Amino acid sequence: MAKKMLEVKDLTTKYITRFRENIYAVDHVSFEVEEGKTLGIAGESGCGKSTLALSLMGYYFPPLYYSGGEITIDGRNISGLKPDDVRKSILGTEIAYIPQAAMNALNPTAKIIRFIEDVIHAHDPKKTKKDIYDLAKERFEILNLPSDVLQKHSVELSGGMKQRTVIAISTILSPKVLIADEPSSALDVTSQKLVIKMMYDLMNMGYIKSMIFITHELPLLYNVTDDIMVMYAGQIVESGSARQMVFDPVHPYSKGLMDSIIVPEEGTRDAKLTAIPGTPPNLKDPPKGCRFADRCKYVMPLCQTSFVTMRRFGELDDDGNAESQRRYRCIVPVHELKETFKREGGLRNTGGAAI
Amino acid sequence: MKGYRKYFGKKILWFFITLFFAVVLNFVLPRLMPGDPVANITARITAGMSNVTATQAIYNEYIKKFGTDQPMPVQFVRYIGNLLRGDFGQSFSQYPRTVGDILASSMAWTVGLQLPAIVTGWIIGNILGAIAAYIRKGFDKVLLPISLMISGLPAFGLAIILLMVFGLGLRVLPLQGGYAQSLIPAFSLTFFKSVIYHYWLPFLSIVIIFIGGQAIGMRSMSIYELNADYVKYSRFMGIKDSKIVGYVFRNAMLPQISGLALSLGTMVGGALVAEIIFNYPGLGTTILGGITGSDYPLISGATLIITIMVLTTSFIIDIVYGFIDPRVKAAQYD
Repeated sequence: MAKKMLEVKDLTTKYITRFRENIYAVDHVSFEVEEGKTLGIAGESGCGKSTLALSLMGYYFPPLYYSGGEITIDGRNISGLKPDDVRKSILGTEIAYIPQAAMNALNPTAKIIRFIEDVIHAHDPKKTKKDIYDLAKERFEILNLPSDVLQKHSVELSGGMKQRTVIAISTILSPKVLIADEPSSALDVTSQKLVIKMMYDLMNMGYIKSMIFITHELPLLYNVTDDIMVMYAGQIVESGSARQMVFDPVHPYSKGLMDSIIVPEEGTRDAKLTAIPGTPPNLKDPPKGCRFADRCKYVMPLCQTSFVTMRRFGELDDDGNAESQRRYRCIVPVHELKETFKREGGLRNTGGAAI
Repeated sequence: MKGYRKYFGKKILWFFITLFFAVVLNFVLPRLMPGDPVANITARITAGMSNVTATQAIYNEYIKKFGTDQPMPVQFVRYIGNLLRGDFGQSFSQYPRTVGDILASSMAWTVGLQLPAIVTGWIIGNILGAIAAYIRKGFDKVLLPISLMISGLPAFGLAIILLMVFGLGLRVLPLQGGYAQSLIPAFSLTFFKSVIYHYWLPFLSIVIIFIGGQAIGMRSMSIYELNADYVKYSRFMGIKDSKIVGYVFRNAMLPQISGLALSLGTMVGGALVAEIIFNYPGLGTTILGGITGSDYPLISGATLIITIMVLTTSFIIDIVYGFIDPRVKAAQYD
């Protein structure tokens, strides 16, 4: 079995509002990522994807606070480390982040090379400018960036170049886990592909050991990740391999999410697009039972009252191995859910009654 | 670099075009005013004289001296020629002192008062604003309302309050003047001490208001920058907070620098209120004297100096800004 790069157990983090209310944006989240693997995290806006990314780094800024759980990177438990130790020994080296707004992530008045020097000196003050320049030049070449970019300011670069520059800087310390938050949302389709291919190149060359993609673009996740995890209202509702999640979703929410994808395939033009009605619950006062209950078309009285835990279910994958990773959060047994989906026929049927 | 040279050339061209029109206005406007200033001077000098021929002779003499007998274009060419030689003409109200002489002596007082006040106020204000933005909490809650109140005070209001408290109430500082009236300006220790003693109130009245305004500006700029994406990204790459504060400070400073340059440009005309209230012998008091005494050469000399100062500083900002802010530089290249 491959080495576990990232292991998260019951991670819970909260925002404390001005009115002292606790909002648990990440609620008992557990998962793991193995070496050389890519995990995709999907979900609607506001479901806690980005907060999860920030929480994974263990570096908290108000109003975000740690509340419980454990994060282990390559066998080293980082929860409970002092903020300055996290800064020095974790950020950038163990776990690195490509922010959602990569276009604005660079200081407008500093040359790219100065910023890279600051990043490296924050972890290794003794490294000479010459060594840093050589390292940066080498990495920039992999990302197809000319070395004179190093002497430029961010305003002089195009959008795609800025994006690649940020990727180069985020990975310059060879992190074990790279989190990319909507890495390609601001790019056109061809640049998207290129950027993702380059990130894979970096992983194949061993500069990064594992990756987490956070996005709302499911087709992207299916194409580039090994596993997919769907989040809803701060919790994971289902996780499994990319193939299982796209073609055989089990949780009513993941099914709804997959049904709302627009795929340019023959025959899909006439199929009705479905959107999930309603809005996610207010996390200031989350429902006692299933958080998706109010929007679920298969809802039963029990869903509203009983706490729903994550359940595992075994299933044989293409190679005949038991897929222990597959988990879902619903009180209805898997086979009943599947039968219901089948009864409704096809992936894009909007009709159907409660179980 | 070619684009930048073009930009620089264009800026210089516009500098001179603006300057030319300022000079023309300076020349024309006083001459459009009603009344004959030469007749005024003659009347003052010949007051009590009954000899009409002599009065007429004096009048003719002055007309020749001031050149008002010549047609306008000729006068203008002469005016320009004189300006280029640094000759602003002769003051009417303080005749026979030259305008250049009067302006030079009052400029020294004004610059001596304003330059340190503006620079001190700018430095303290920016530091306080940046600290308030970084620390927030209690410090910010105290600083912000105080700054808002101070910067909202009219200049004369604060000056009068200071006069009341320190001059009339506590009687620790003098009420008016640039130095003790019993002294004659000289490079002596006594005179210097007197100047310092008289310096405090006008200085404070300018500094305090300046600190308030600068602190508010810097505070909001810094808060904005502290929430910028590059700050978050720098933090997530493990860069120390002290270093990030440096980035923020530099970026938040940019608008403040143009504020400083503009204040320095308008400095010479800016302290009119403080100078009048404290009867300080600066350019403000001189201009006021010029206006009340219909001293056209003095007024136009003073306004010309102010115009040149404003033009020069804004020209310098335009050029220097390109070097300190790469975004502006990129725009200049276009």
